[in-house]
Amino acid sequence: MSIWLELAHTFLKVGLFGFGGGFAMIPLMQSAAVFKNGWMTASQFAAAIAMGQVTPGPVAISATFIGYKVAGLPGALVATVAVFAPSLVVMALLEKFYLRVRGTELTQAVMHGVLPVVVALILHAALSLGRPMLNAWWPPVVALLVAVLAITRKVGYGFLVAMSMAVGMLMAL
Amino acid sequence: MKADERSTGETGPPAVPDWRAVTLAFLKIGTVGFGGGFAVVELIHSELVLKKRWLTEQRFENMMALAELAPGALTVNLLAGIAYRLGGIGTMIVATAALLLPSFLLIIFLAGAFLAWQHHPMVQSAMEGLTAGVVGLLIAVAWDLIKRAPRHWCCLAVGAAALLLGLVFPVNPIWLVVMGGAAGGLKTWIAAHTRLKGAAVPPKS
Repeated sequence: MSIWLELAHTFLKVGLFGFGGGFAMIPLMQSAAVFKNGWMTASQFAAAIAMGQVTPGPVAISATFIGYKVAGLPGALVATVAVFAPSLVVMALLEKFYLRVRGTELTQAVMHGVLPVVVALILHAALSLGRPMLNAWWPPVVALLVAVLAITRKVGYGFLVAMSMAVGMLMAL
Repeated sequence: MKADERSTGETGPPAVPDWRAVTLAFLKIGTVGFGGGFAVVELIHSELVLKKRWLTEQRFENMMALAELAPGALTVNLLAGIAYRLGGIGTMIVATAALLLPSFLLIIFLAGAFLAWQHHPMVQSAMEGLTAGVVGLLIAVAWDLIKRAPRHWCCLAVGAAALLLGLVFPVNPIWLVVMGGAAGGLKTWIAAHTRLKGAAVPPKS
């Protein structure tokens, strides 16, 4: 019972503070699942994120994987509901009161303050995920290639993730 | 300034669907909407605005603005808002569940397979590749966000401070997000205050 409450509490927070899109949730999930609670290793967390990429739907669905790993199917359900519930509540509220919040100077300014923090957090997550992979020569090359392709060519994220997995498998041979 | 889009009938009143139609449409988007982010926003636009004509361009744009403001995944926010607008809270909950169902089932399947095989050397090497790919994506996303961020010393300072704090201390990232928002709010408040006193501070960001 308490592990479910723990999951619900954790992912409600991730959902509520994940400003700036699905990717902004990755550092929050990493902090909760890997650093704070030790629910999974860094590479298992990377798997969770990667699976969020190769499935249709948003990145935040990685929460489903984390919940499943921690407490099976009920855990997956609790984590998924918890991570998306704040979105629904906030959207319903915004939709009701949007004439008052839309485009006011203060909401704009708050978002302008949040955005750089999100960038910093994402870079930080990239660093902590990337540090252990410096042991081999090819992962940094793959990471760089994926970054460049994603930025310039607008190749689909799911495709890039699938290709990185294929490269990894080739390297095992 | 945009017109008040609560007034109806800009290009003919949009069709009003019932909750089953909305749920079915969301199920379809949840099944084919690979990639997330702006690629899926395109898909949503063509499905719901152009094909089904459930909402006007104007209303779609407004919903996008709200979705960017709300926490969480952009596409879920956008669709939840649309469903709420089309049929209230019940429709929003059912339709969002339908939207997430395909991904949910697929990821449960993948998670089961992964956890069963994760110690196999082939799977481990595949994982290393995946991790590298995810790191690359994170860099690309950070890059995109930096391009969209306003060029202002305050932004740079807040970002640099957050990066340093996060690197040096094990700060909970949620606190960093809250502090960033507070810094942004404070900056505007100070600017508004000095403007009131007659100092010429341009409010442009």
